[in-house]
Amino acid sequence: MGDPAASQISEAMNRLWQKFLPQMEERVATLQSATTQLANRATLTLEEQSGAAADAHKLAGVLGTFGLKEGTELAREAESLFEGPPDALPASLSRLTSITGQLKAMIADRA
Amino acid sequence: MHRILIIDDEDDIREVAALSLETVAGWEVMVASSGAQGLARAATYQPDAILLDVMMPGMDGPATFRELQKNPATAHIPVMLLTAKVQATDRSRFADLGVKAVLVKPFDPMSLSQQVAEILGWN
Repeated sequence: MGDPAASQISEAMNRLWQKFLPQMEERVATLQSATTQLANRATLTLEEQSGAAADAHKLAGVLGTFGLKEGTELAREAESLFEGPPDALPASLSRLTSITGQLKAMIADRA
Repeated sequence: MHRILIIDDEDDIREVAALSLETVAGWEVMVASSGAQGLARAATYQPDAILLDVMMPGMDGPATFRELQKNPATAHIPVMLLTAKVQATDRSRFADLGVKAVLVKPFDPMSLSQQVAEILGWN
């Protein structure tokens, strides 16, 4: 017999994951959109950059709670890159593209 | 039964933290989605402790904490900041505000209540 509280938490966490899945996907979509804009224009508006940093921050704070600790680490890295100087962003494009793809896959797998 | 107020603008974090503290520890949990709402609820409900997110639009965590400290009705309530910032400089800056502790997100839903209880000496 397992711990009843652990089992109850696990089931409830799965329900909460489903409830907040669209929100997680939306945050990754923000990162993806910023990365696409960066690839197309080699720059981001301040609004795009701060929006991507904010959504990466939110993902970093929550993914590990749902067992996706690697997702938290990746999101933290993305947050740090998006918080950097705007002129350094083009050099991070490849890494940001990779992080965004990994986060998207991780979230789809958890679902 | 301990009463905890969670102040966080992110609904996923609020719900997971509430689930964790209610289910694992059996505490009574109240929530607020902004600093302003948190100030009002803290004064009204007089929780035993507050979990307060750092980054919120409008009144952020540090500003909310300062307002809690100014009000004699809430100044005595221990506050623990919740943050996804992991840099030592950030954590040190938050700790210098005078909060009881700085907890890093993400947290483990199974051990959050134990962490809080240890900080507050509730064990």
